[in-house]
Amino acid sequence: MSANSQTLFVQHFGKDSNRTLDYFLKNMNGYEQAKKTLTNLTPDQVIEEVKKANIRGRGGAGFPMGMKWSFIPKNSEKPKYLVCNADESEPGTCKDRQIMRYTPHVLIEGLIIGSYAIGCHHAYVYIRGEYVREAELLNAAIDEAYANGYLGKNIMGSTYTLDITVHRGAGAYICGEETGLLNSLEGKRGEPRVKPPFPAISGAFACPTAVNNVESIANVPHIMRMGGEEFAKLGKIDKSGGTRLISLSGHVSTPGVYEMQAGSMTLRQIIDEFGGGILNGKKLKAVIPGGSSSPVLTADEIDVVYDVEPLMKIGTMMGSAAIMVINEDTDMVKLLLRISKFYAHESCGQCTPCREGCHWMESILHKIIHGEAKSTDIDLLVDVAGNIGGKTLCALGDAAAMPVQSFVKKFRPEFEAYLKGQKRHG
Amino acid sequence: MAKCTIDGKEVEFTPGENLIKVAKRAGVDIPVFCYHPGLTVVAQCRMCYVEVEKMPKLQTACSTNAAEGMVVKTTSEAVKKGREGTMEFLLLNHPLDCPICDKAGECDLQDNSFGSGSAYMRHSEERRTYVDVDMGDVIQKNMNRCIHCTRCIRFGDEIAGIHEMVAIKRGNNIDITTIDGKQLQTEYAGNYSDICPTGSLTLKDFRFKKRAWMLKKTDTVCEGCSKGCNMEIQHEGNAIYRCVPRENLEINKYWMCDEGRFNYHYTQDPARILNPVQKVGAAWSKITWDQGLSALKSETNAVNTLFLLGTDLTLEEMSAIRETVTRNHKNAKLLSFGTHGVETSAQDKSQDQILKMKSKTSNLMGAEKLGIEALQGKAKADVVVVFRGGRAQLPAIESKKTIGVGVFLEKEVTSFDVILPGLAFTEKDGTVINHQGKEQRLKRAVLPREKCKAIPEVLMLLLNQKTREVLA
Repeated sequence: MSANSQTLFVQHFGKDSNRTLDYFLKNMNGYEQAKKTLTNLTPDQVIEEVKKANIRGRGGAGFPMGMKWSFIPKNSEKPKYLVCNADESEPGTCKDRQIMRYTPHVLIEGLIIGSYAIGCHHAYVYIRGEYVREAELLNAAIDEAYANGYLGKNIMGSTYTLDITVHRGAGAYICGEETGLLNSLEGKRGEPRVKPPFPAISGAFACPTAVNNVESIANVPHIMRMGGEEFAKLGKIDKSGGTRLISLSGHVSTPGVYEMQAGSMTLRQIIDEFGGGILNGKKLKAVIPGGSSSPVLTADEIDVVYDVEPLMKIGTMMGSAAIMVINEDTDMVKLLLRISKFYAHESCGQCTPCREGCHWMESILHKIIHGEAKSTDIDLLVDVAGNIGGKTLCALGDAAAMPVQSFVKKFRPEFEAYLKGQKRHG
Repeated sequence: MAKCTIDGKEVEFTPGENLIKVAKRAGVDIPVFCYHPGLTVVAQCRMCYVEVEKMPKLQTACSTNAAEGMVVKTTSEAVKKGREGTMEFLLLNHPLDCPICDKAGECDLQDNSFGSGSAYMRHSEERRTYVDVDMGDVIQKNMNRCIHCTRCIRFGDEIAGIHEMVAIKRGNNIDITTIDGKQLQTEYAGNYSDICPTGSLTLKDFRFKKRAWMLKKTDTVCEGCSKGCNMEIQHEGNAIYRCVPRENLEINKYWMCDEGRFNYHYTQDPARILNPVQKVGAAWSKITWDQGLSALKSETNAVNTLFLLGTDLTLEEMSAIRETVTRNHKNAKLLSFGTHGVETSAQDKSQDQILKMKSKTSNLMGAEKLGIEALQGKAKADVVVVFRGGRAQLPAIESKKTIGVGVFLEKEVTSFDVILPGLAFTEKDGTVINHQGKEQRLKRAVLPREKCKAIPEVLMLLLNQKTREVLA
C-alpha cells in the first residue's frame, strides 16, 4: 500500500466479528449518516452530494452515480426502486463479496440513504446464486437492522419507511447486466431488455429504477460522512472520486482484494506493491486489467495509471477493477479458449451475433488448439469477433469479442504456432 | 411535421415511429426477422442495422425512433457488413433444406439471405440439431430451422393471450418450445406459422401440398363470424390450398383465428351437393335445373310458404331474394337465420376478447340493415325455402316440403326434398357488413363447380321459364 494512502473498506475486512451491528456502530460511525440524512437533508441534497463526490459506478461501466440517480423522475406517481447489483460475476471480480461478508451494514446504510434520495421504499439486493453464505450474512445483517429500527417503518424516528429484500439469482452471468437482472428479479427469463427505455424510466416492474453496484452503494455513507468534495479529493485523477477496491488475481505472490485511492497507482505499482510481484519470480507476460472481458495488455503496457480514462486511452478498460496477472508460462491461446468458453456458455441466446458467434469463436479456437484449423482461421476468428462486438443487444457480445480481438492482436505468433504445427494440444 | 433523412430522401414522421416504418414511406425496405408491426420490439435478430449519423455504433432500426433532423443510411458499407454478419450467424445452424421446406418461396430467411447475405460459407462445424415436440393438430415444428426471433413467443403472450411458447436453455443451446413440451392450446395457432420467418413452424394442413410460388392470391373477407377478418385465399387450378390473414388495422390487425382459417374446407368437401337433386325415397337423385326450379316455383305457390335467408349471404343476394319474394309471393314470410342464440346484432358480442364473435355468420348486420327479421325458434310452414351461403346454422324445420338453395353438405339436409346448389363465399363476389358496420367485399377466388349457380342467376331463371328451358 502506498504511504499515507487512505482506505475506507479494507481495514474492516478479514475478521468475522467485524460484520456485526455492534462493530459497525462502534468503529464505522454506523447509521449516523442515515440518521442525519433522514432527519436533516432533502433527497436533492443527497443527490447533489453524490454528484460532487465524482463517484463512478463500480460495476464495470463506470457511469457517474449521482447522474444516474438524478435521472429518476421526481414527479412520477409510480413507486421507485433502488436495486443493488450484487451479481458480481465478471470473472476475476470478488470485491463485493468482501463488502457483503465483512461490512454488510455499510451496504444497508448506503441503501437507506440511496433509497431516500430517489424516493424508494422497497430496495432489492440481487445477489448471485453462488453467494450462498454471503446471502445468509446479508440477510442476518438486514434482520439485525430491522430489529434495531434501522429498517422498516419510521426509520430512526423519521417518517421514512424502507424495506430491503435480498433476491438470490440462479447462476447466470447475464443477470449481472442491469436489465437482465431486472427481468430475473421480476421472475422472468434472465435476458437483457432493449434500451431505451432505460431503467431510470422503466426498470423493475416497469417503474423508475436505479441499479447500482454493491461497492457504489457502500460508498454512499462515506460520501455523506466526508462530504462530496472531500470524498472526490480521495481520487487522484479527474472525474474519479473515492477509493477503488481491486480484485487482484493470477500469477502474483499475494492475490487478494486491495484498496487504493482512485488513480493513485499504476498497474505496475499495483502488481508490485499489492501483489508482491510475479509469483515465483517468473516474468510477466500479460495483464487482463478489468475483468476477463477487458482487452489484454502486454507486459510493457502496464505503466499506466489504473483508472477509467487512462486505461481507455490505451484501448482497454477498468471494468470491475479485477486484475488478472499472467506469467510467461501461460499459453495465451488456451487462456483465450477458456475465456471464450465462458462467454459462449453465458450468452443468454436472445440476440443473433452473441448466440451464434460466441459458440463459433469457441469452436474455431478449439480447432486451432487441436490442430484442425485452416490457415485462414485466425483471420476468420477476428472477423467473427468484429461481427459480434458493438452489434449485440447488450454488452455481453462486446465482452466476448474484446478478449478475442486483443489476444490475437497482441499474441498472434502464439496462434500461428498452433497452425504451423509447432504447438499441439496435449 | 418533423422530418428526417433516409438514404438522402427527406421523410416526414410522427414522433414515436421507428425507422423501419419511416423508411418504408421513403421507399426503403429494411430487412427484419424479429420485428413485427403487431408485436413488441425486442431488437434480437440484429438484421435491421442502419447507420445513424453521430452515433458510433450501428443501430437497429426497429428499436430506434426517428428524430428531427436524423440522418440515416441503410446501404453504407458498415450496414452491409453488419447485415452480412448477422445472415452468416443465422445460417451457421440453419439446415438450408429449402427444397423440402414449405416456407421456401415466402421465407424471410431466404429473401434476406438473397438480399443481404454472402454467397460463401466460412463455417465448417457440425450444425446444431434438436428433437422436436408434437405441437398438436395445427402446427408442425422444425426447430432446426428456427432462428430464435421469438415472434411466436410474443404472439402467444401479447395477442393470443396465452403464455405457451417459451425459450428454454440458453446461448447456443436455446430452444424455442412449448411449456413442458405440451401441445398448443390457442385457437389462433395458425398465426404462429404466418409470422414465423423461416420454416420452423409450418401448417400441418398445408404441408407438402403446394409450393408457395405457385399459389394465386385473392383478397377477400373471412365468413367465419361477424368480425369480418380480412383474408387472402391462396389457390391454384381452381382448388384452395390455404387462407391467410390480411392486414387491416381497424378489424383484425394481422391475425385470424383457426376456425376462420380452415373454414374454407367445407367448400371442397366431397359431400357438398354440387348438382340439383331431389329426394327419391331416402336417396338423392340428380335432376335438371329446369326440374328443380319448376318444383320450387310450383311449391312456393302454395298458400303457406316461409322463405329463410341465411345471414351468411351477401347483401346483393339478400336484396335480390327479398325483391323476388315480396314481388312474387305476396303472402309468404321472409326471415333470416344464422347462429342459434345470436339472432340480433345486439346479442352479438366478442366471444373471446380477441377476434372471434358470437355470430358465426358474416352478414348479420347486413340482414338487419335490410330490415329482414330474424326467425325465432322453429321454422314452421307448409313449404320452407332455405337460401344459404354455406355457414349459417340450419334451424329446426317443420314443413311438408323443404327446398334448399345454396351450399349444403349431404349430411346437413337429410330432411330436405330438393336442393339447388349455389356458390360458396370463395366462389362469388359480394358485400358483407361486419359487426362494426363496416362494408367489406368478398371476391371470387375460384370458379363455381359442376352445376352450382349464383343466387341472382337462380332467381332470374325462376322468373323466366323460356330461358330456363333453353339453358337446361
